[in-house]
Amino acid sequence: MRKDLVFGMAGSGGDGIVSAGDSLLQAASAEGYHGVMTKSFGSQIRGGESSCRVRISTEPVLNPGGNLDVAVALNWEDFLKFGAELPVAGSTVVIYEAATGVPENQIPLVGVTPLQVIAVPIAEMAKSTAGTERAKNTVVLGLIAGWFGIGGEAVMKGISKKLAKKSQELVDANQKAFDAGVVFAKTHPLKADMTVEPSKTKGAVKLLTDGNDMCAAAAIFAGCQFFGGYPITPSTEIMQFFTSHVWKYGGAVLQAEDEIAGIGAAVGASFAGRKAMTATSGPGLSLKSEMMGLASIAELPLVIVDVQRGGPSTGLPTKTEQSDFFAAAFSAHGDVIRPVLAPTSVADIFRITVEAFNIAEYYQTPVIVLSDQEIASRKETLDPIDTSQFKIVNRLLPTGSDLQDYKRFKQTENHISPISHPGMLGGTYLASGIEHVESGAPTNSGSVHARMNDKRIRKFDPLKERKDLFEITGNPDAPLALIAWGSVAGVCREALQMAREQGLDVKLMVPYLLYPVAEQTYRDFFASVQKGLVVEQSHLAQTFKVLRMHLDLPKGLQSLARSGANPFLPGEIVAALHHLLSELQRSHEGKLQPQE
Amino acid sequence: MSANATCEFQAKDYKSDLKPIWCPGCGDYSVVQGIYRALAAIGRPPHEVAFISGIGCSSRIPGYTTAYGFNTVHGRALPIAQGIKLANPDLMVLAAGGDGDGFSIGGGHIAHLIRRNIDITYLVMDNQIYGLTKGQLSPTSQKGRTTCTSPYGSLENPVNPLLYVLAYGAGFVAQASPTDLAGMAAIIEEAIRFPGFAFVNIQSPCVTYGEEAQQIKGLKAISENLSSLGHNPADRLAAMDLAQHYGEKLHLGVFYRNPEPAPTYDALIRERQAALSKDAPPKERILDLFIKK
Amino acid sequence: MTTRGIDFKALSLKDALDLAVLIEQEAKERYEEFAAQMDQHRTPDAARFFRYMALNEAKHGEALAARRAELFGAAPSAVTRAMIFDIEAPDYDAARAFMSPRQAMTAALASEVKAHTFFVEALPALKDADVKALFEELRDEEVEHQDLVKAELAKLPPDSGLSDEDFVDGPTAQ
Repeated sequence: MRKDLVFGMAGSGGDGIVSAGDSLLQAASAEGYHGVMTKSFGSQIRGGESSCRVRISTEPVLNPGGNLDVAVALNWEDFLKFGAELPVAGSTVVIYEAATGVPENQIPLVGVTPLQVIAVPIAEMAKSTAGTERAKNTVVLGLIAGWFGIGGEAVMKGISKKLAKKSQELVDANQKAFDAGVVFAKTHPLKADMTVEPSKTKGAVKLLTDGNDMCAAAAIFAGCQFFGGYPITPSTEIMQFFTSHVWKYGGAVLQAEDEIAGIGAAVGASFAGRKAMTATSGPGLSLKSEMMGLASIAELPLVIVDVQRGGPSTGLPTKTEQSDFFAAAFSAHGDVIRPVLAPTSVADIFRITVEAFNIAEYYQTPVIVLSDQEIASRKETLDPIDTSQFKIVNRLLPTGSDLQDYKRFKQTENHISPISHPGMLGGTYLASGIEHVESGAPTNSGSVHARMNDKRIRKFDPLKERKDLFEITGNPDAPLALIAWGSVAGVCREALQMAREQGLDVKLMVPYLLYPVAEQTYRDFFASVQKGLVVEQSHLAQTFKVLRMHLDLPKGLQSLARSGANPFLPGEIVAALHHLLSELQRSHEGKLQPQE
Repeated sequence: MSANATCEFQAKDYKSDLKPIWCPGCGDYSVVQGIYRALAAIGRPPHEVAFISGIGCSSRIPGYTTAYGFNTVHGRALPIAQGIKLANPDLMVLAAGGDGDGFSIGGGHIAHLIRRNIDITYLVMDNQIYGLTKGQLSPTSQKGRTTCTSPYGSLENPVNPLLYVLAYGAGFVAQASPTDLAGMAAIIEEAIRFPGFAFVNIQSPCVTYGEEAQQIKGLKAISENLSSLGHNPADRLAAMDLAQHYGEKLHLGVFYRNPEPAPTYDALIRERQAALSKDAPPKERILDLFIKK
Repeated sequence: MTTRGIDFKALSLKDALDLAVLIEQEAKERYEEFAAQMDQHRTPDAARFFRYMALNEAKHGEALAARRAELFGAAPSAVTRAMIFDIEAPDYDAARAFMSPRQAMTAALASEVKAHTFFVEALPALKDADVKALFEELRDEEVEHQDLVKAELAKLPPDSGLSDEDFVDGPTAQ
């Protein structure tokens, strides 16, 4: 019996493999399992190659997993397009469509001998039972239920519920296809037992959603009443969620005429006193940069979600990458600090989004939430979140005495000035992108500019002291270290576990606050570090470079960086740690000594 | 149209202490005066007015009023103004800027505010030149015009702001000019009172870079009052016909006023909010949406 | 130069006096505004002259206001500033950066002529004899004002005839 299984399935859009993944995850979560599902697509709107990776576990899941335990190929051409996204290893059971005509001993996977390879006449079974080859995905679900014990009744319950509105005939057809899959599995047992242990939490209430929906829900919970945006993959679902729900809370949403107008409307809404948000991906972030500068100098709270995809330019619209760190921290001209936060999972994008609003409102600043395609589109099962434990921060409004002689940009001890909004008697002022004095009146004085820059930059000092925006796990005095953020953090969490089980003395830092760089927190973390890796999906190693720009890094800290759409596997990170350790041992002739 | 003698606010209540940086003789001095007067006639307290602009000489205008002002970035007065109006429909929202701001860098936005019919009044101070950057060609500069970026004469046809907004279906389209301050104040007032997107093109001469023919004297010579021409402002096609003469004639007054104003976007939003908030779960329970049974 | 919502046929002496006060007030404020513009644009001689004009207008205004108070006390006014546009106030278009005192005086003279024209044109519509008399008086005063400005103009040495634009710095890009 297994605690954990990773499925990777690929086919063309017409094979419905992603729908199958959805059904599988839903069924598993209904049975009380933890799970994560990620999707990856070709660039066609319909019918391109598509794949999903579903990880089911009896324990909470940290990431979509490494090598596949089960690979399902409805055709090889599409499966191979996903390369390292669907890694097959010696421990993998490979199931594929017999109609491809490929013999079981000649599957086109180079340099690997899977645990078992089974050709299944999936299309034929679909046709003979449901009457259409389109039911292939249902046959696959039956195979999975039969071989791995996941989803049995729950899958068909879910499918029936989804299709009941259409016709009973359709439900019956699917049932037949599903049953055929189960029967095939039972009559062709696997060499090794790969069934999953029953869930320990059967019947417990679980949430099932993806990063984009969770992000939007968190925003509404945080009090966001305005969303301005423009459709762009892979962030659009955030706007869609708003269009369904924000009205209920007295808010509004605008699908604007372009990216600039989207953020512009949000800037306007914030000026009008409402919590506001926009969401986009790389190309949109580039377009929005001027407005982000405006929000910074006008000191207006605003949350900007950037769901990263491969760049530059159109890049890889449907694949994940971590290459927007520079743009998030540094785009828009002028001397400015714009906080950048990064969630690592569907579960914590809730907290990070709420935190982003709190920081935006408290510091009166635009805040960027750097999500990524993987977090945005992956589905996770989660334990319910107790929203009452979250504090909601609202902007500092002027008091009656502030309004006696109101100065919008008044210098204060903590550099934060009470902010009025239209409709507030006594609070009228001119907000502007041009430099201004405390009252808001425009100026071109160099000394005022220096003072105001100082105010706008130093107000963030306390943010850099926030230890709760960093997760440090493992032995705090370990000589080996990992640093990773965003969706890569989940892989490193698992690598940390594996490495420690293998006796490595290692620790992991996951920064949720990427910018401003919290120098002291890193210095403290680095104190024991002799060797380490900054792991990221950016060819330029943007995170490593930003850290180097702000800090003296330990000599042994290295970059493990690569382009997006080439996922890291926990195993390779552990291997890299072993390598670092052997280097360390060589240099110290077998005994670990603290570095000078 | 008679002014109300017991009006709560006077023009001076809308005038701020900031000293304009405009060149003496600039048409915008009259425009801001017209705005003060229009606002006083309507009588909305300054703190309930949000006045948004982009970048350009004319975009300095919100700072010269006592309203809540926002001097934003080049070309983006309208996107920001619409966010303000949708976030708080109770506010009176004005947007202003120059011809470059509105019809060049920000030219893509007008069409969309018009089709949404957001209740914003947009005042363009059209001077056919980029003044702030010292006299370059603008989207409304006449073909053949020599400027510092067209030393051999412009090869481009100008945008026709009036036809542009009429074509997109704006509910209120008018033109004014400092040649007639009283008329301008009345038109701005009417534009603000119009329920829906209202556009006023204001021929406001640039005294520093403007051509001789586009100064007050020249404008007076080509100006004609639309009401004295017998134009019926309910007739959109007739308005479009007259608007063809932009650049040759200066037609002052209301080109088009939709006799049956369409519902505004901001009003429709309110209806939707009211309808959908009735049975909404508290936002603390929004995650219940994700519970799978 | 125009009015809005004033019925000259029905104008009472009280309202006519109020109107005259408002006209002076408008002119005073405009001259102050012009003086501020000249300050902003470093044109001190013209600024000084516009301040002088503002003072004159203020004085006339106060005299008229005193007369009104004597005749009608604090009786409410039926006319407002919203009803008059640029009657005696110089047009915004008349100001220029670096304008010479002569140009400033010429602008002021033009506005006195404008005011004179206003009273002349309004007279035929008036019905009330007292109001008529007041308007005639104001009309004649405008001639006096013109003479005053003309006298100031005469005191000035003649302009060089050279254009200031040939000497000053060009505009600054912002």
